[in-house]
Amino acid sequence: MFVLVLNFFLFRVLPGDPARAGVHDPRLKKDSIEAIRVRFGLDKPVINCFETLNPIKLGSCDINPLDTQFFIYLKNLVTGELGISYHTNRPVATVLAERLWNTVLLIGAGQILSITVGAFFGVFAAWKARTAIDYGALATSLVVWSLPTFWLGIILLFWGSANGLPIGGKATPGMSSAPLMQQWGDIARHMILPTVTYTIVYMGEYMLIMRSSLMDVLSEDYILTAKAKGLGVFQILRDHALKNAMLPLVTIIAINLGFTVAGAIQIETVFSWPGLGGAIFEAVNRRDFPVLQGAFLLIAVTVIVANLIADLTYSYLDPRVHTE
Amino acid sequence: MEKLTQKDNLPSSTQFSEFWRKFKKNRMGLVGLVMLAAITFVAVFAPLIAPHRSSSILNVGVSDIYKAPSAQHIFGTDDAGADVFTNFIYGARVSLTVGFFAAFISIVIGGVLGIVAGFFGGRVENILMRFTDIMLVIPDLPLMVVIVALTKPSLLNIIFVIGLLGWTTTARMVRSQTLAVKSRKFVLRARAIGSSQFHIIRRHIFPLVTPILVVQAVLVVSLAVLNESTLSFLGLGDPTVLSWGQMLNYAFGRGAMSTGAWWALVVPGFGIVWVVLGLTLLGQGLEQVLNPRLDTHHLMPGRPNVKSTSVALSRNETQPASGKSLLEVQNLSVNYVTEGQLSARAVESVSFTLKEGELIGLVGESGCGKTTLMLALLQLLPSAGQIVNGQVLFGGRDLTTLSDDEMNTVRWSEISIVFQGAMNALNPVRSVGDQIAEAIKKHLTGFPSDKISTRVVELLDLVGIAADHKDHFPHQYSGGMRQRAMIAMALACNPQIIIADEPTTALDVMIQAQILELLNSLRTKLGLAIIFVTHDLGVVAEMCDRVLVMYGGVTAEYADVDIIYNEAKHPYTQELLKAFPDLTRPKKKLSSIPGYPPRLDALPAGCRFAPRCPVVFERCHQEQPSLHQMDGNRHIASCHLLEASK
Ligand code: SF4
Repeated sequence: MFVLVLNFFLFRVLPGDPARAGVHDPRLKKDSIEAIRVRFGLDKPVINCFETLNPIKLGSCDINPLDTQFFIYLKNLVTGELGISYHTNRPVATVLAERLWNTVLLIGAGQILSITVGAFFGVFAAWKARTAIDYGALATSLVVWSLPTFWLGIILLFWGSANGLPIGGKATPGMSSAPLMQQWGDIARHMILPTVTYTIVYMGEYMLIMRSSLMDVLSEDYILTAKAKGLGVFQILRDHALKNAMLPLVTIIAINLGFTVAGAIQIETVFSWPGLGGAIFEAVNRRDFPVLQGAFLLIAVTVIVANLIADLTYSYLDPRVHTE
Repeated sequence: MEKLTQKDNLPSSTQFSEFWRKFKKNRMGLVGLVMLAAITFVAVFAPLIAPHRSSSILNVGVSDIYKAPSAQHIFGTDDAGADVFTNFIYGARVSLTVGFFAAFISIVIGGVLGIVAGFFGGRVENILMRFTDIMLVIPDLPLMVVIVALTKPSLLNIIFVIGLLGWTTTARMVRSQTLAVKSRKFVLRARAIGSSQFHIIRRHIFPLVTPILVVQAVLVVSLAVLNESTLSFLGLGDPTVLSWGQMLNYAFGRGAMSTGAWWALVVPGFGIVWVVLGLTLLGQGLEQVLNPRLDTHHLMPGRPNVKSTSVALSRNETQPASGKSLLEVQNLSVNYVTEGQLSARAVESVSFTLKEGELIGLVGESGCGKTTLMLALLQLLPSAGQIVNGQVLFGGRDLTTLSDDEMNTVRWSEISIVFQGAMNALNPVRSVGDQIAEAIKKHLTGFPSDKISTRVVELLDLVGIAADHKDHFPHQYSGGMRQRAMIAMALACNPQIIIADEPTTALDVMIQAQILELLNSLRTKLGLAIIFVTHDLGVVAEMCDRVLVMYGGVTAEYADVDIIYNEAKHPYTQELLKAFPDLTRPKKKLSSIPGYPPRLDALPAGCRFAPRCPVVFERCHQEQPSLHQMDGNRHIASCHLLEASK
């Protein structure tokens, strides 16, 4: 709820107000300005009692609270209506929906890969703690962690373009008439570099977390019990350690899902991938506030949903949660 | 850098030199520090180092743009024909400045909020932490992008935006540390004598929170540097200042890629990686020094048993007079080995014999090597532990020579162990029944799988746990039940020997009695042999056949239980007996032995009991007493007094 309210006001407090920016064009005639303002709902007062957003200057409280921008915003939220893009004049919901899928595709592939690779090396490093393998994995993950996402993208792009991989976008132009299989193949080829970038950048963090979490679990008494029971190393890892060590990872993954949009902005800019991050970046440059507002709402919802999923997974994995 | 050292200095200079001594040994931290010192040096002395005065656009020709590295421009030129190396050096100034100032803002906000929330608690804490949580779930970068894009792009704005959004983790960590510190004794005392709250925070809380702040500061700087470069790369930086991110932005946006000018892209990025990696290493190093964690666990391979063959194994003193011996431990010695230090002699030359159906009590204060000895029997020593001498004979084999795989066939199916404090000895995320069934599946391979669950119920019934608790998890059990469940699990594969390692400590007296009763009845019912480890001689009296008293890793006395009670020869045993309430003389004052058992890394030269022995004499300090046999092998003790009396 707080997020929703913040989201609304953030884009009205910030300078570069859409109404002023878009509407104060001297070439426009007075009534067309009025028409634009009505179209975007900017003719309504922002909120009752406050004339402008300057909170010191009180507005009239006679205005029907149901007829303010704030109320309309809330009402539209409930109906899933996100407004209309200033720039393209298309409904924000439609614009974001197509972008969202591209990002989900990219982030999904990247997350799955980085979690798998990171967790695997994390387990390996913890198991072989204080050996060359462990130190090697540790050093790698620290270096990888220090790489700026966009720079790694650039370097890979440089290398990829020299090796005949597509350098940007989601599909080769003109591909849409090709058979479906070929289209998919084309998209997959376009995805290689961004996904690899994504995987490398996030891998290090997952590795470090998995390693330290597993180290903690492996020094627990019940691991000694399992060893005393005569179980082999693999059985102990599989049946007694992994599930317990996954618990902290689940939380981190959920938090990360929200933050991955940040990584997406960088990667999508470098690789001109038509996703949500790119949409935010473009919208910022065009002062396309409805799109930004929608995008932030989407991010907020993602974060909340991700946390919910994390909680559910957690209680599924850990019997201590639901009985207490 | 100077900022960090000053902060460290705050508590006191001795503490700082202590910290520095440890830090010097931390390779990761040192590398990071050197990396940062190098780049800071470059940034400070930029005008002296840079080969060309910064990007002056004097008669730049088309041919000057993106010139490949050469003697004149070692890293080539950029899109404006400027020397990349020069810009790189000046870029360091910008990146470091933004990093440090932004981090400073974050740390101050995070530190203040954390301390205030943690210290005052209640409503204040609630509101502040709620606020922090909300800020924590808002993804920073998109927000930064928006704010920076819509305000004037200046360095100052970037610093503020990064600083104002980067404090959340610091606030949370500082708060939990403050909470931990708040309830320490000296803080409570300061409160009690009426010190002002400001004074308490400044003198008592702040110094203890400082280490966390320092580590956080280092990490926050690295994040700030990353964020600045990202914003600049996205074209949101201050166009008048050339940071590394800005250089990348220009190069990427102005065709470095298509002209193949790799140097304009690689060099600035390298700078960012250098700084961030340096900071990360420093942060990790500091964390390890200030907050050391033992990096060991139970799956790390143990040290191979090394046995000096020079010590001849005489089948000696402890040979039992009658009965079939099940387990024979001879001259077993265990060391704890730490790199670069003398090995600690945790157990030295301990011998004993366990006969079928017998119950041996292993007695001694905590820290006397009892648990080490038991773990050594099953080859379960932690990775620092090493068997350096002796044999463990069981079923015609010497267990110390078996491989891990061979050992796994002995563990649990022949010898099982009930650990001290079953709270953590059971896996919290698996049901108790499941964990018992696991042992059956592992060792009784022919066991029909549909009967396993009946068997589990049977076992639980044996220890007095109702069948409907089978599928419950350990946290749903009471302490006593957990200990019984452990015993049920230990019985699962019909072992011949059960080692019970202080199974009753941490339980209340009633439950203790029940568990003891249970073990004793199982012994007679199932013909088990039991090694019962305890620090309480009284527990042993009622049920043991023989008693082995250990002190400081060596055998003090070993004899039948009635000999121990009536004719104890070793002063340590005698002292232990005095500490044990005598039912026939309830008014007698209980005495406990003053002092503590010796630390294993600082054993006294002569008799290990000498510093606490009431009848100590000259020789005890020089010479370690050897084992003396009395009563024809049935009673041994190690004390110089015995020799003197002979
Ligand atoms: S040897 Fe000396 S110090 Fe040791 S127990 Fe005997 S009398 Fe005491």
